[in-house]
Amino acid sequence: MKNAAKKVYLILILILLYAPIATLMILSFNKSRTRAKWGGFTLEWYRSLLENEQIMNAFYTTLLIALLSALAATLIGTLACIGMQAMSKRARNILMATANIPMVNPEIVTAVSLMLIFIALRVGLGFQTILLSHITFNIPYVILSVMPKMRQTSRSTYEAALDLGASPVYAFFRIVFPDILPGVISGFLLSFTMSLDDFVITHFTKGPGIDTLSTKIYTEVRKGIKPEIYALSTLLFVSVLLLLILVNYSPEETETAAKQAQKKPGRWKIFVLRRFVPAVMALVLISGGIYYGSRGKIGGQNTLVVYNWGEYMDPAVLELFEKETGIRVVYEEFETNEIMYPKVQTGAIAYDLVCPSDYMIQRMIENDLLAEINFDHIPNLKNIGSTYLEKSREFDPDNKYSVPYCWGTVGILYNKTMVDEPVDSWGILWDETYADSILMQDSVRDAFAVALCYLGYSLNSTDLDELTAAKNLLIRQKPLVQAYVVDQVRDKMIGNEAALGVIYSGEAIYTQRENPDLEYVIPKEGSNIWIDSWVIPKNARHKESAEAFINFLCRPDIALMNFDYITYSTPNTAARELIEDDEIRNSPIAFPDDEALRNCTTFHYLGDEMDGVYNELWNQVKSK
Amino acid sequence: MKRRRLLAGPYLFWSVSFIIIPLFLIVCYGLTKADGGFTLENAAHITTPENLKALGLSLLLAFLCTLICLVLAYPLAMILSQSSISQSSFIVLIFILPMWMNFLLRTLAWQTLLEKNGVINTFLSFLHLPQINIINTPYAIVLGMVYDFLPFMVLPIYNVLIKLDKDMINAARDLGANSAQTFVKIILPQSIPGVISGITMVFVPAMTTFVISDLLGGGKVLLIGNVIEQTFKQGSNWHLGSGLSLVLMIFVIASMGIVNKYDKGQSGGSF
Amino acid sequence: MSNKLIDLVHISKTYGTNTVLDNLDLYIRENEFLTLLGPSGCGKTTTLRIIGGFETPDSGQVIFDGKDITALPPNKRQLNTVFQRYALFSHMNIAENIAFGLKIKNKTKKYIDDKIRYALKLVNLDGYENRMPDSLSGGQQQRIAIARAIVNEPKVLLLDEPLGALDLKLRQDMQYELIRLKNELGITFVYVTHDQEEALTMSDTIVVMNQGYIQQIGTPETIYNEPENAFVADFIGDSNILSGIMLKDRLVNILGTPFQCVDEGFGTNTPVDVVIRPEDVNLVKPEDGMIRGIVTHLIFKGVHYEMEVMANNYEWLVHSTDMFPVGTEVGIRVVPFDIQIMNKPISEDEEAVNIEA
Repeated sequence: MKNAAKKVYLILILILLYAPIATLMILSFNKSRTRAKWGGFTLEWYRSLLENEQIMNAFYTTLLIALLSALAATLIGTLACIGMQAMSKRARNILMATANIPMVNPEIVTAVSLMLIFIALRVGLGFQTILLSHITFNIPYVILSVMPKMRQTSRSTYEAALDLGASPVYAFFRIVFPDILPGVISGFLLSFTMSLDDFVITHFTKGPGIDTLSTKIYTEVRKGIKPEIYALSTLLFVSVLLLLILVNYSPEETETAAKQAQKKPGRWKIFVLRRFVPAVMALVLISGGIYYGSRGKIGGQNTLVVYNWGEYMDPAVLELFEKETGIRVVYEEFETNEIMYPKVQTGAIAYDLVCPSDYMIQRMIENDLLAEINFDHIPNLKNIGSTYLEKSREFDPDNKYSVPYCWGTVGILYNKTMVDEPVDSWGILWDETYADSILMQDSVRDAFAVALCYLGYSLNSTDLDELTAAKNLLIRQKPLVQAYVVDQVRDKMIGNEAALGVIYSGEAIYTQRENPDLEYVIPKEGSNIWIDSWVIPKNARHKESAEAFINFLCRPDIALMNFDYITYSTPNTAARELIEDDEIRNSPIAFPDDEALRNCTTFHYLGDEMDGVYNELWNQVKSK
Repeated sequence: MKRRRLLAGPYLFWSVSFIIIPLFLIVCYGLTKADGGFTLENAAHITTPENLKALGLSLLLAFLCTLICLVLAYPLAMILSQSSISQSSFIVLIFILPMWMNFLLRTLAWQTLLEKNGVINTFLSFLHLPQINIINTPYAIVLGMVYDFLPFMVLPIYNVLIKLDKDMINAARDLGANSAQTFVKIILPQSIPGVISGITMVFVPAMTTFVISDLLGGGKVLLIGNVIEQTFKQGSNWHLGSGLSLVLMIFVIASMGIVNKYDKGQSGGSF
Repeated sequence: MSNKLIDLVHISKTYGTNTVLDNLDLYIRENEFLTLLGPSGCGKTTTLRIIGGFETPDSGQVIFDGKDITALPPNKRQLNTVFQRYALFSHMNIAENIAFGLKIKNKTKKYIDDKIRYALKLVNLDGYENRMPDSLSGGQQQRIAIARAIVNEPKVLLLDEPLGALDLKLRQDMQYELIRLKNELGITFVYVTHDQEEALTMSDTIVVMNQGYIQQIGTPETIYNEPENAFVADFIGDSNILSGIMLKDRLVNILGTPFQCVDEGFGTNTPVDVVIRPEDVNLVKPEDGMIRGIVTHLIFKGVHYEMEVMANNYEWLVHSTDMFPVGTEVGIRVVPFDIQIMNKPISEDEEAVNIEA
């Protein structure tokens, strides 16, 4: 009876541990791109995984960093153990305490401290800084694995070897090393695993154009994870599982060493299973890593460093551009304007092309971060509708710095099966009938815009009373809000998780495609109209390539490809003409008429001080 | 012998450059203004109501998470240490293996599981059981933390328990203790080093995480980790961020100091 | 002596395919110092653990003071164990270790304090109350383990090779301590060891075991002087074990020479094993001996000389205070009383004679 209870308990814990993993594996076979819906079985993602250079690149970077950092950490850590063994107890204790610092210190503090030292030393953030950081946090794992084994080794056997005429080096490798080898191996494996699984430290120490799986996933979280990632993780998990089973539980394992020695074929088999196969797998991984790694470098005249919103360009467009021009694109993604800004501002990374939103462009212009675009190089500008260039003057008064890429409105997406009444006002977001069914935007300006518009104030208000009123309104709303999210509104609305959500118009088209019960409105009180445009930072190294790329993007066929992929309204009127589906070409969501846009305004940059006020107020909302 | 000591040289160099000096830098940044003058303002920023609340909530959730992990892990470690498959490599494998599925993905999977129309609720409604609705609440964050950090509690306790001298338990039984008394008076105190290192390895990351609260809290729950992350990554204010990090570090060290007081000088570190 | 305190009835125990105890019967009397003696793997420790309650026999019963305690857990048994590796509670100081059993029995503080002082005095470690076990030497730890057991006033003290980890000098000291303790406390000791000297020194009764069977039970003198079979003879002390033929009562043919002996009832012309202790072999002038031989080895051992004598194609082991240099021709004499005759085992199983049957 007691044993049965123990078994049940064990099984429950195993379910807890492996349920998420099973979920991810199942998702890798899901035909639907969104995780909120099961769209039938498919192996499509496994095929497209191999073609997805970004993911494979991140994957190999991850493996390469894990391997190199684990190797380096194992070497340094093992040497340190040998050295410490010969030290006085006091010195050894001090060193051991140092080894424990990264284990006990909060990960975020370690990450921040490493970032600060790299910036202080002017080491460019990138592959090398991630590697150095991973070695740093891996060394303690090696030391803590090797040191106990080191203590168990007997001095006398080592001395016996010296007595029998062995040199210290020979004696070490023949006598001491075999004893500590299990510790060295487990230290290596532990380091490798920890490095593979790390996010926080990589997040703080990585540079542009380089992603590990973790940081790639984190960027994608807001957009919804690409199914290829599930496929890759499933493959990785299954192959590690097989490998471990192979190494640990080959059938001969149960036999004694003596028996193995007699049975030659068995030994040979063990050699293949336990040494050869893993070695070949490791070799494949390393060479793959070097191959992909060599392609991921920034530098050279023929490259272009692009910094864009997540999921904001059809990967096929990039390939096409690279093929046509021979320019290699290093592509990095950001999640919010606020995350993008300091990266460009510090100049630590020289981006060639960035795609910020209206008010952020204004801020960058005011802070003299942008270069004037040479429009001679962009003949395709003629395809951009004049209304959009006109609107752009609100933040780029002379149309000198920016070329519109996408635009849209902010409105309410609602589920017709859950909301019966007509939706035409922001006020419904304060209706208690929809408690816990409301999704709000998780960004300062968007959230405040909703409250300010509802109150009838300008969404660029700088009046403290107005802002306080908006803040109080948002605090009043908080109990009704299910979650503050960015792009996850999409998945959650498709999955019928919520009745109402504040969303960008571009996402609305996609969600309707997946879930026909959804409807999008621009509330009558007015809303935000936004334009994301391409700009070239002052410190860009490849300005002409950047202009060539802008010109390429303004080509109608290319703009159409992007529109199909990201479903955000395009300012490219020529491209709009090419849309075959009448319903979409004339969709009031993608291309609202002037009447609908009458009350809509763009965000303005309000100055650093006002930004601080907004942030302060928003923090008060969030922490209530 | 002297030359052998030199082998620790690379490590010494490494830990000074990448552990000691960076921490020193945090102290420097944390205690200065942007113009370089000395100030305590950054560290004092922790006392704003929002930050205090975030810190308090972090402490509370980390405490809850550690407690739950301990309660779940101890019996688990006991069962594992007594089981016939006491091949330790296998046990370790079970708990290390999930790490090969990216930690963000694993945490994210809980969204799919916990959502209103998620896997668990679909299953529950199929059985006509009441729905659970914890996604985007602190409960979901605690669940995610427990899930992510449970192995770090199980393994140290397990390692101590399998090394426990069986005769010591026999001796207690022999001297008249029943199984409950044996557990309370012998097994539990003997396993304290494992429990301490387990608590350390769970409490610290739980206290300072920003990812789990990000992924499972629906943006409604702000922990001290989130505050620091945002200060660095979005606000780009390194002085303020360092100041807050400094406070966090002191907090963690203090908490660990309190925990370690119960460890009667026995060496822990049994991961 | 007095009545049976512990009675083991038809005990069998198997681990996997390995039979450790096979239908073992044994009783232990009150106030006796009984030693289970045998090579490792003979089942002596398993027997002790079954008495202590740490193992359950596959079949058979453990009777204690007339009651069947086979299924009783260790904490309900009126006996205490001293473990081979002491098994002191390393997180408690000495006083807490000793008080452990008493606290569980809810004794008063005064009673416990008195007992601790008494027990520490008994094992000659007064004043060690506040020390931690790690700070004590092996011998001291062992004495604490004994003190921890005896304060509970058990009827029986089980000792599992308690001196195994100590060095020779300490071991001898502890042997006297144990005898003294036993006499002072007047309780039953069941002692497990593989050291025959230890067994001979301390025991009232020795039980020689091999391969899960009892080979012989008896006082140290009987075991030494009258081993029941070749195993016992070989295991206890040095011996010359020779094949012989019992010609008739009180006459045995050893290596072709008839010897007078005192044994009867083996029949005529029966093959037997003959045991002669080395100190019982007398070396005399060649012409005075029953058989003649040449000294091949000589070692000075302190108390006596150890010699090997080649006679009639057998290398005789001889202990003697007289010295004969290597190469000397000597005669060998054995008095009839010192010749011990044993039946030859017919098969492997037969080697394990069950005395009680």
